[in-house]
Amino acid sequence: MTLAFGVAVPAWARGLPDALVHPLTSNTRLLGAGLATAVTYAVLVLSTFPGFTVQALASDPTDLFYAVAALTRETYLTVGWVGLGLVATYAVLAGVALTNAVALLGRARRTGASTVLGVVPGVLAAGCASCGAGVLGALGFVGAMAALPFQGNLLRLGGIALLLFFLGRTGDPLTCSIGGER
Amino acid sequence: MGSKDKITRRRAIAAGGATALFGGGVAFLATRSDSDEPRYVPESFHAGERETVFGIELGGRPIAGDRGAPVDVYYWTDYLCPFCKRFETETLPTIGREYVDTGDARVVVLPYPNIGAYSMPAAVWSRCVWRQVAESDSAAFWRWHEAAFDAQSESGTDWADEETFARVTERTEGVPADPVDSCRSDSAGSIRDAVETNLGVAQSAGIRGTPSFVLYNRDADASGKLVGAHPADTFSDALDRVLAA
Repeated sequence: MTLAFGVAVPAWARGLPDALVHPLTSNTRLLGAGLATAVTYAVLVLSTFPGFTVQALASDPTDLFYAVAALTRETYLTVGWVGLGLVATYAVLAGVALTNAVALLGRARRTGASTVLGVVPGVLAAGCASCGAGVLGALGFVGAMAALPFQGNLLRLGGIALLLFFLGRTGDPLTCSIGGER
Repeated sequence: MGSKDKITRRRAIAAGGATALFGGGVAFLATRSDSDEPRYVPESFHAGERETVFGIELGGRPIAGDRGAPVDVYYWTDYLCPFCKRFETETLPTIGREYVDTGDARVVVLPYPNIGAYSMPAAVWSRCVWRQVAESDSAAFWRWHEAAFDAQSESGTDWADEETFARVTERTEGVPADPVDSCRSDSAGSIRDAVETNLGVAQSAGIRGTPSFVLYNRDADASGKLVGAHPADTFSDALDRVLAA
Protein backbone atom coordinates (compact mmCIF):
# COMPACT_ATOMS: atom_id res chain seq x y z
CA MET A 1 0.00 0.00 0.00
CA THR A 2 1.47 3.42 -0.95
CA LEU A 3 0.42 6.94 -0.15
CA ALA A 4 -0.80 9.40 -2.77
CA PHE A 5 -1.58 12.93 -1.50
CA GLY A 6 -1.57 11.43 1.98
CA VAL A 7 -4.24 8.86 1.05
CA ALA A 8 -3.50 5.16 1.19
CA VAL A 9 -3.80 3.59 -2.28
CA PRO A 10 -4.50 -0.14 -2.31
CA ALA A 11 -2.05 -2.24 -4.30
CA TRP A 12 -4.63 -3.24 -6.93
CA ALA A 13 -5.48 0.39 -7.75
CA ARG A 14 -1.94 1.50 -8.54
CA GLY A 15 -2.07 0.04 -12.05
CA LEU A 16 -5.42 1.69 -12.86
CA PRO A 17 -4.07 4.82 -14.65
CA ASP A 18 -1.78 2.67 -16.85
CA ALA A 19 -4.66 0.32 -17.66
CA LEU A 20 -7.05 3.14 -18.56
CA VAL A 21 -4.67 4.77 -21.05
CA HIS A 22 -3.59 1.51 -22.71
CA PRO A 23 -6.07 1.86 -25.64
CA LEU A 24 -4.36 5.17 -26.48
CA THR A 25 -1.16 3.36 -27.41
CA SER A 26 -2.23 2.50 -30.97
CA ASN A 27 -4.91 3.46 -33.48
CA THR A 28 -6.10 -0.15 -33.71
CA ARG A 29 -6.48 -0.45 -29.93
CA LEU A 30 -8.32 2.89 -29.75
CA LEU A 31 -10.71 1.81 -32.52
CA GLY A 32 -11.15 -1.57 -30.84
CA ALA A 33 -11.98 0.05 -27.50
CA GLY A 34 -14.51 2.33 -29.22
CA LEU A 35 -16.21 -0.57 -30.99
CA ALA A 36 -16.22 -2.68 -27.81
CA THR A 37 -17.78 0.25 -25.91
CA ALA A 38 -20.53 0.68 -28.50
CA VAL A 39 -21.28 -3.05 -28.64
CA THR A 40 -21.28 -3.38 -24.83
CA TYR A 41 -23.64 -0.41 -24.47
CA ALA A 42 -26.00 -1.84 -27.11
CA VAL A 43 -25.98 -5.28 -25.47
CA LEU A 44 -26.57 -3.83 -21.98
CA VAL A 45 -29.46 -1.64 -23.10
CA LEU A 46 -31.03 -4.27 -25.38
CA SER A 47 -30.85 -6.89 -22.63
CA THR A 48 -33.15 -4.81 -20.41
CA PHE A 49 -36.08 -6.09 -22.51
CA PRO A 50 -34.86 -9.23 -24.30
CA GLY A 51 -38.29 -10.31 -25.60
CA PHE A 52 -38.74 -6.98 -27.40
CA THR A 53 -35.16 -6.98 -28.70
CA VAL A 54 -35.42 -10.46 -30.21
CA GLN A 55 -38.73 -9.64 -31.96
CA ALA A 56 -37.52 -6.25 -33.21
CA LEU A 57 -34.30 -7.63 -34.69
CA ALA A 58 -36.01 -10.73 -36.10
CA SER A 59 -38.66 -8.71 -37.93
CA ASP A 60 -36.20 -6.15 -39.30
CA PRO A 61 -32.49 -6.05 -38.38
CA THR A 62 -32.40 -2.38 -39.38
CA ASP A 63 -34.59 -1.70 -36.34
CA LEU A 64 -31.44 -2.09 -34.22
CA PHE A 65 -31.05 1.66 -33.84
CA TYR A 66 -34.77 2.07 -33.06
CA ALA A 67 -34.46 -0.62 -30.36
CA VAL A 68 -31.32 0.93 -28.81
CA ALA A 69 -32.90 4.42 -28.88
CA ALA A 70 -36.21 3.19 -27.42
CA LEU A 71 -34.57 1.21 -24.65
CA THR A 72 -32.13 4.04 -23.83
CA ARG A 73 -35.15 6.29 -23.24
CA GLU A 74 -36.85 3.47 -21.30
CA THR A 75 -33.75 2.97 -19.11
CA TYR A 76 -33.56 6.70 -18.39
CA LEU A 77 -37.26 6.92 -17.55
CA THR A 78 -37.01 3.88 -15.27
CA VAL A 79 -33.75 4.46 -13.41
CA GLY A 80 -32.92 8.10 -14.15
CA TRP A 81 -29.61 9.78 -14.93
CA VAL A 82 -27.69 7.86 -12.26
CA GLY A 83 -28.70 4.44 -13.62
CA LEU A 84 -28.14 5.42 -17.27
CA GLY A 85 -24.80 7.05 -16.36
CA LEU A 86 -23.70 3.84 -14.66
CA VAL A 87 -24.61 1.81 -17.76
CA ALA A 88 -22.66 4.21 -20.03
CA THR A 89 -19.67 4.27 -17.65
CA TYR A 90 -19.70 0.51 -17.52
CA ALA A 91 -19.69 0.33 -21.33
CA VAL A 92 -16.63 2.62 -21.57
CA LEU A 93 -14.74 0.65 -18.91
CA ALA A 94 -15.72 -2.65 -20.57
CA GLY A 95 -14.36 -1.29 -23.88
CA VAL A 96 -11.01 -0.57 -22.20
CA ALA A 97 -11.05 -3.89 -20.33
CA LEU A 98 -11.74 -5.92 -23.47
CA THR A 99 -8.93 -4.14 -25.35
CA ASN A 100 -6.57 -4.83 -22.45
CA ALA A 101 -7.75 -8.44 -22.22
CA VAL A 102 -6.89 -8.95 -25.90
CA ALA A 103 -3.40 -7.53 -25.27
CA LEU A 104 -3.02 -9.74 -22.18
CA LEU A 105 -4.03 -12.84 -24.08
CA GLY A 106 -1.61 -11.93 -26.88
CA ARG A 107 1.23 -11.56 -24.36
CA ALA A 108 0.23 -14.77 -22.58
CA ARG A 109 0.33 -16.71 -25.86
CA ARG A 110 3.92 -15.62 -26.28
CA THR A 111 5.04 -16.25 -22.70
CA GLY A 112 3.30 -19.47 -21.76
CA ALA A 113 0.09 -21.14 -20.67
CA SER A 114 0.41 -20.25 -16.97
CA THR A 115 -0.14 -16.56 -17.75
CA VAL A 116 -3.25 -17.40 -19.81
CA LEU A 117 -4.69 -19.17 -16.77
CA GLY A 118 -3.90 -16.12 -14.67
CA VAL A 119 -5.79 -13.87 -17.08
CA VAL A 120 -8.91 -16.02 -17.44
CA PRO A 121 -10.49 -15.14 -14.05
CA GLY A 122 -10.14 -11.43 -14.81
CA VAL A 123 -11.73 -11.78 -18.25
CA LEU A 124 -14.56 -13.90 -16.82
CA ALA A 125 -15.13 -11.40 -14.01
CA ALA A 126 -15.40 -8.62 -16.56
CA GLY A 127 -17.88 -10.63 -18.63
CA CYS A 128 -20.08 -11.56 -15.65
CA ALA A 129 -20.18 -8.02 -14.33
CA SER A 130 -21.37 -6.82 -17.71
CA CYS A 131 -24.33 -9.19 -17.92
CA GLY A 132 -25.79 -8.37 -14.49
CA ALA A 133 -28.91 -6.49 -15.59
CA GLY A 134 -29.47 -8.47 -18.75
CA VAL A 135 -29.44 -11.92 -17.21
CA LEU A 136 -32.31 -11.04 -14.89
CA GLY A 137 -34.40 -9.89 -17.84
CA ALA A 138 -33.44 -12.89 -19.98
CA LEU A 139 -34.53 -15.24 -17.21
CA GLY A 140 -37.96 -13.64 -17.23
CA PHE A 141 -37.59 -11.49 -14.14
CA VAL A 142 -38.86 -8.33 -15.80
CA GLY A 143 -39.22 -5.79 -13.04
CA ALA A 144 -36.61 -7.61 -10.96
CA MET A 145 -34.14 -4.76 -11.40
CA ALA A 146 -36.75 -2.35 -10.06
CA ALA A 147 -37.11 -4.49 -6.96
CA LEU A 148 -33.38 -4.51 -6.29
CA PRO A 149 -31.83 -1.90 -3.97
CA PHE A 150 -31.73 1.50 -5.72
CA GLN A 151 -33.50 -0.04 -8.74
CA GLY A 152 -30.49 -2.18 -9.61
CA ASN A 153 -28.00 0.71 -9.38
CA LEU A 154 -26.15 -1.12 -6.61
CA LEU A 155 -25.67 -4.08 -8.95
CA ARG A 156 -24.49 -1.75 -11.73
CA LEU A 157 -22.08 -0.06 -9.30
CA GLY A 158 -20.82 -3.50 -8.29
CA GLY A 159 -20.14 -4.31 -11.95
CA ILE A 160 -18.13 -1.09 -12.35
CA ALA A 161 -16.16 -1.80 -9.14
CA LEU A 162 -15.36 -5.30 -10.42
CA LEU A 163 -14.15 -3.88 -13.74
CA LEU A 164 -12.00 -1.25 -12.02
CA PHE A 165 -10.51 -3.97 -9.83
CA PHE A 166 -9.75 -6.09 -12.92
CA LEU A 167 -8.19 -3.13 -14.73
CA GLY A 168 -6.13 -2.07 -11.68
CA ARG A 169 -4.84 -5.57 -11.06
CA THR A 170 -3.78 -5.89 -14.69
CA GLY A 171 -2.28 -2.44 -15.11
CA ASP A 172 -0.61 -1.86 -18.48
CA PRO A 173 -1.08 -5.24 -20.15
CA LEU A 174 2.13 -4.81 -22.17
CA THR A 175 4.43 -4.54 -19.14
CA CYS A 176 5.29 -7.37 -16.77
CA SER A 177 5.06 -7.22 -12.98
CA ILE A 178 7.99 -8.40 -10.86
CA GLY A 179 7.37 -10.57 -7.81
CA GLY A 180 3.65 -9.97 -7.97
CA GLU A 181 4.09 -6.26 -7.16
CA ARG A 182 3.65 -3.72 -9.91
CA MET B 1 6.51 -0.56 -25.15
CA GLY B 2 7.91 0.34 -28.59
CA SER B 3 7.92 3.81 -30.16
CA LYS B 4 4.79 3.02 -32.17
CA ASP B 5 3.03 2.26 -28.87
CA LYS B 6 3.43 5.79 -27.51
CA ILE B 7 0.42 7.73 -26.35
CA THR B 8 0.03 10.61 -28.79
CA ARG B 9 -1.82 13.86 -28.27
CA ARG B 10 -3.87 13.13 -31.41
CA ARG B 11 -5.14 9.81 -30.02
CA ALA B 12 -5.81 11.35 -26.60
CA ILE B 13 -7.92 14.09 -28.22
CA ALA B 14 -9.72 11.51 -30.41
CA ALA B 15 -10.51 9.36 -27.35
CA GLY B 16 -11.75 12.38 -25.37
CA GLY B 17 -13.90 13.53 -28.29
CA ALA B 18 -15.34 10.06 -28.87
CA THR B 19 -16.16 9.68 -25.16
CA ALA B 20 -17.89 13.07 -25.12
CA LEU B 21 -19.79 12.15 -28.31
CA PHE B 22 -20.86 8.83 -26.77
CA GLY B 23 -22.08 10.52 -23.58
CA GLY B 24 -23.86 13.23 -25.57
CA GLY B 25 -25.51 10.65 -27.83
CA VAL B 26 -26.80 8.66 -24.86
CA ALA B 27 -28.11 11.85 -23.23
CA PHE B 28 -29.81 12.88 -26.50
CA LEU B 29 -31.55 9.52 -26.88
CA ALA B 30 -32.58 9.58 -23.21
CA THR B 31 -34.15 13.02 -23.33
CA ARG B 32 -35.68 12.89 -26.81
CA SER B 33 -39.31 13.64 -26.12
CA ASP B 34 -42.19 11.48 -27.27
CA SER B 35 -44.10 12.09 -30.47
CA ASP B 36 -46.13 15.29 -30.72
CA GLU B 37 -48.77 13.51 -32.78
CA PRO B 38 -52.30 14.20 -31.49
CA ARG B 39 -53.50 11.48 -29.12
CA TYR B 40 -55.76 8.80 -30.55
CA VAL B 41 -59.32 8.43 -29.32
CA PRO B 42 -61.15 5.42 -30.82
CA GLU B 43 -64.29 6.16 -32.83
CA SER B 44 -66.26 3.37 -31.16
CA PHE B 45 -66.22 1.51 -27.87
CA HIS B 46 -68.09 -1.30 -26.26
CA ALA B 47 -67.98 -3.25 -23.03
CA GLY B 48 -66.98 -6.88 -23.30
CA GLU B 49 -69.76 -9.36 -22.80
CA ARG B 50 -69.62 -12.43 -20.64
CA GLU B 51 -67.36 -14.28 -23.00
CA THR B 52 -64.05 -15.97 -22.56
CA VAL B 53 -61.77 -15.68 -25.55
CA PHE B 54 -58.22 -16.97 -25.54
CA GLY B 55 -58.80 -17.84 -21.89
CA ILE B 56 -59.46 -14.20 -21.01
CA GLU B 57 -62.70 -13.15 -19.35
CA LEU B 58 -63.87 -10.13 -21.34
CA GLY B 59 -66.98 -9.39 -19.29
CA GLY B 60 -67.24 -5.65 -18.57
CA ARG B 61 -63.81 -4.82 -19.96
CA PRO B 62 -63.18 -1.71 -22.06
CA ILE B 63 -62.88 -2.65 -25.73
CA ALA B 64 -62.07 -0.11 -28.45
CA GLY B 65 -63.45 -0.83 -31.92
CA ASP B 66 -66.35 -2.70 -33.47
CA ARG B 67 -67.85 -5.69 -31.71
CA GLY B 68 -67.61 -7.71 -34.96
CA ALA B 69 -63.97 -6.90 -35.81
CA PRO B 70 -62.26 -10.18 -36.79
CA VAL B 71 -59.05 -9.65 -34.84
CA ASP B 72 -58.74 -9.06 -31.09
CA VAL B 73 -55.68 -7.18 -29.82
CA TYR B 74 -55.20 -8.04 -26.15
CA TYR B 75 -53.13 -5.19 -24.79
CA TRP B 76 -51.54 -5.76 -21.37
CA THR B 77 -50.46 -2.48 -19.91
CA ASP B 78 -49.40 -0.68 -16.73
CA TYR B 79 -49.96 3.05 -16.14
CA LEU B 80 -46.51 3.26 -14.54
CA CYS B 81 -44.77 1.77 -17.61
CA PRO B 82 -42.87 4.31 -19.77
CA PHE B 83 -42.60 1.85 -22.66
CA CYS B 84 -46.42 1.59 -22.70
CA LYS B 85 -46.58 5.38 -23.00
CA ARG B 86 -44.29 5.10 -26.02
CA PHE B 87 -46.73 2.63 -27.61
CA GLU B 88 -49.66 4.94 -26.83
CA THR B 89 -47.98 7.98 -28.38
CA GLU B 90 -46.06 6.52 -31.32
CA THR B 91 -47.75 3.32 -32.47
CA LEU B 92 -51.38 3.32 -31.32
CA PRO B 93 -52.48 6.38 -33.35
CA THR B 94 -51.49 4.66 -36.62
CA ILE B 95 -52.86 1.25 -35.61
CA GLY B 96 -56.05 2.87 -34.33
CA ARG B 97 -56.75 4.77 -37.54
CA GLU B 98 -55.76 1.95 -39.93
CA TYR B 99 -57.17 -1.11 -38.16
CA VAL B 100 -59.48 -0.22 -35.25
CA ASP B 101 -61.52 2.59 -36.83
CA THR B 102 -61.81 0.58 -40.08
CA GLY B 103 -63.40 -2.39 -38.27
CA ASP B 104 -60.49 -4.81 -38.80
CA ALA B 105 -59.40 -5.05 -35.18
CA ARG B 106 -60.60 -4.25 -31.68
CA VAL B 107 -58.32 -3.46 -28.75
CA VAL B 108 -58.98 -4.94 -25.32
CA VAL B 109 -57.22 -3.03 -22.55
CA LEU B 110 -56.00 -5.43 -19.84
CA PRO B 111 -54.08 -4.47 -16.70
CA TYR B 112 -50.71 -6.08 -16.01
CA PRO B 113 -49.44 -4.36 -12.84
CA ASN B 114 -45.69 -5.01 -12.73
CA ILE B 115 -43.69 -1.80 -12.58
CA GLY B 116 -44.13 -0.28 -9.13
CA ALA B 117 -46.04 -0.31 -5.86
CA TYR B 118 -48.85 1.84 -7.27
CA SER B 119 -49.35 -0.29 -10.41
CA MET B 120 -52.23 -2.30 -8.90
CA PRO B 121 -54.01 0.73 -7.35
CA ALA B 122 -53.70 2.43 -10.77
CA ALA B 123 -55.37 -0.62 -12.38
CA VAL B 124 -58.21 -0.32 -9.83
CA TRP B 125 -58.62 3.39 -10.68
CA SER B 126 -58.86 2.49 -14.38
CA ARG B 127 -61.49 -0.20 -13.86
CA CYS B 128 -63.58 2.08 -11.65
CA VAL B 129 -63.43 4.90 -14.20
CA TRP B 130 -64.58 2.51 -16.93
CA ARG B 131 -67.49 1.27 -14.78
CA GLN B 132 -68.78 4.84 -14.34
CA VAL B 133 -68.56 5.90 -17.99
CA ALA B 134 -69.08 2.66 -19.97
CA GLU B 135 -72.77 3.29 -20.58
CA SER B 136 -72.90 7.08 -20.74
CA ASP B 137 -69.67 8.38 -22.27
CA SER B 138 -67.25 5.57 -23.09
CA ALA B 139 -64.80 7.94 -24.86
CA ALA B 140 -64.25 9.56 -21.44
CA PHE B 141 -62.47 6.36 -20.38
CA TRP B 142 -59.97 6.77 -23.20
CA ARG B 143 -59.44 10.42 -22.31
CA TRP B 144 -58.73 9.36 -18.71
CA HIS B 145 -56.47 6.54 -19.92
CA GLU B 146 -54.37 8.95 -22.02
CA ALA B 147 -54.29 11.56 -19.23
CA ALA B 148 -53.00 8.91 -16.81
CA PHE B 149 -50.11 8.12 -19.18
CA ASP B 150 -49.46 11.84 -19.64
CA ALA B 151 -49.05 12.13 -15.85
CA GLN B 152 -45.90 10.00 -15.97
CA SER B 153 -42.93 12.01 -14.80
CA GLU B 154 -39.50 12.10 -16.41
CA SER B 155 -38.09 9.40 -14.16
CA GLY B 156 -38.97 6.76 -11.59
CA THR B 157 -42.37 5.75 -10.22
CA ASP B 158 -42.70 8.16 -7.27
CA TRP B 159 -45.11 10.33 -9.26
CA ALA B 160 -47.78 7.61 -9.09
CA ASP B 161 -49.88 8.10 -5.99
CA GLU B 162 -53.41 8.76 -4.77
CA GLU B 163 -53.07 12.49 -5.31
CA THR B 164 -51.91 12.25 -8.94
CA PHE B 165 -54.65 9.82 -10.00
CA ALA B 166 -57.30 11.82 -8.12
CA ARG B 167 -56.14 14.94 -10.01
CA VAL B 168 -56.24 13.12 -13.37
CA THR B 169 -59.76 11.88 -12.59
CA GLU B 170 -61.05 15.31 -11.53
CA ARG B 171 -59.62 16.98 -14.62
CA THR B 172 -60.87 14.47 -17.19
CA GLU B 173 -64.05 15.66 -18.83
CA GLY B 174 -66.97 13.28 -18.40
CA VAL B 175 -65.54 11.27 -15.49
CA PRO B 176 -67.53 11.66 -12.23
CA ALA B 177 -64.96 11.71 -9.40
CA ASP B 178 -67.21 10.78 -6.45
CA PRO B 179 -68.69 7.57 -7.92
CA VAL B 180 -65.14 6.53 -8.92
CA ASP B 181 -64.05 6.99 -5.31
CA SER B 182 -67.02 4.97 -4.04
CA CYS B 183 -66.17 2.20 -6.50
CA ARG B 184 -62.57 2.15 -5.26
CA SER B 185 -63.72 1.87 -1.63
CA ASP B 186 -66.38 -0.78 -2.30
CA SER B 187 -64.94 -2.93 -5.07
CA ALA B 188 -61.13 -2.71 -4.84
CA GLY B 189 -60.90 -6.28 -3.52
CA SER B 190 -62.99 -7.89 -6.26
CA ILE B 191 -61.24 -5.83 -8.97
CA ARG B 192 -57.84 -6.96 -7.65
CA ASP B 193 -59.01 -10.59 -7.75
CA ALA B 194 -60.19 -10.21 -11.36
CA VAL B 195 -56.87 -8.59 -12.33
CA GLU B 196 -54.93 -11.42 -10.66
CA THR B 197 -56.98 -14.03 -12.54
CA ASN B 198 -56.29 -12.48 -15.95
CA LEU B 199 -52.65 -11.96 -14.91
CA GLY B 200 -52.38 -15.73 -14.53
CA VAL B 201 -53.76 -16.21 -18.06
CA ALA B 202 -51.27 -13.67 -19.42
CA GLN B 203 -48.36 -15.37 -17.70
CA SER B 204 -49.39 -18.77 -18.99
CA ALA B 205 -49.43 -17.22 -22.50
CA GLY B 206 -45.79 -16.22 -21.97
CA ILE B 207 -46.43 -12.55 -21.18
CA ARG B 208 -43.65 -11.33 -18.87
CA GLY B 209 -43.76 -7.55 -19.07
CA THR B 210 -45.50 -4.52 -20.50
CA PRO B 211 -46.56 -3.56 -23.04
CA SER B 212 -47.38 -6.98 -24.47
CA PHE B 213 -49.92 -7.99 -27.04
CA VAL B 214 -51.66 -11.10 -28.29
CA LEU B 215 -53.24 -10.65 -31.71
CA TYR B 216 -56.03 -13.19 -32.13
CA ASN B 217 -58.11 -13.94 -35.21
CA ARG B 218 -61.24 -15.41 -33.64
CA ASP B 219 -62.62 -16.99 -36.83
CA ALA B 220 -59.37 -18.62 -37.90
CA ASP B 221 -58.27 -19.35 -34.30
CA ALA B 222 -54.83 -17.99 -35.25
CA SER B 223 -52.74 -15.82 -32.97
CA GLY B 224 -49.48 -13.90 -32.75
CA LYS B 225 -47.61 -12.29 -29.87
CA LEU B 226 -45.79 -8.96 -29.73
CA VAL B 227 -43.65 -7.80 -26.82
CA GLY B 228 -42.73 -4.15 -26.31
CA ALA B 229 -43.43 -0.87 -28.09
CA HIS B 230 -42.66 -1.83 -31.68
CA PRO B 231 -42.78 0.73 -34.49
CA ALA B 232 -46.13 1.01 -36.28
CA ASP B 233 -44.76 -0.81 -39.37
CA THR B 234 -43.82 -3.90 -37.36
CA PHE B 235 -47.19 -3.86 -35.60
CA SER B 236 -49.02 -3.49 -38.93
CA ASP B 237 -47.10 -6.44 -40.46
CA ALA B 238 -48.05 -8.64 -37.50
CA LEU B 239 -51.71 -7.57 -37.74
CA ASP B 240 -51.77 -8.23 -41.49
CA ARG B 241 -50.42 -11.75 -40.95
CA VAL B 242 -53.06 -12.56 -38.33
CA LEU B 243 -55.83 -10.98 -40.45
CA ALA B 244 -54.79 -13.10 -43.45
CA ALA B 245 -54.62 -16.33 -41.43
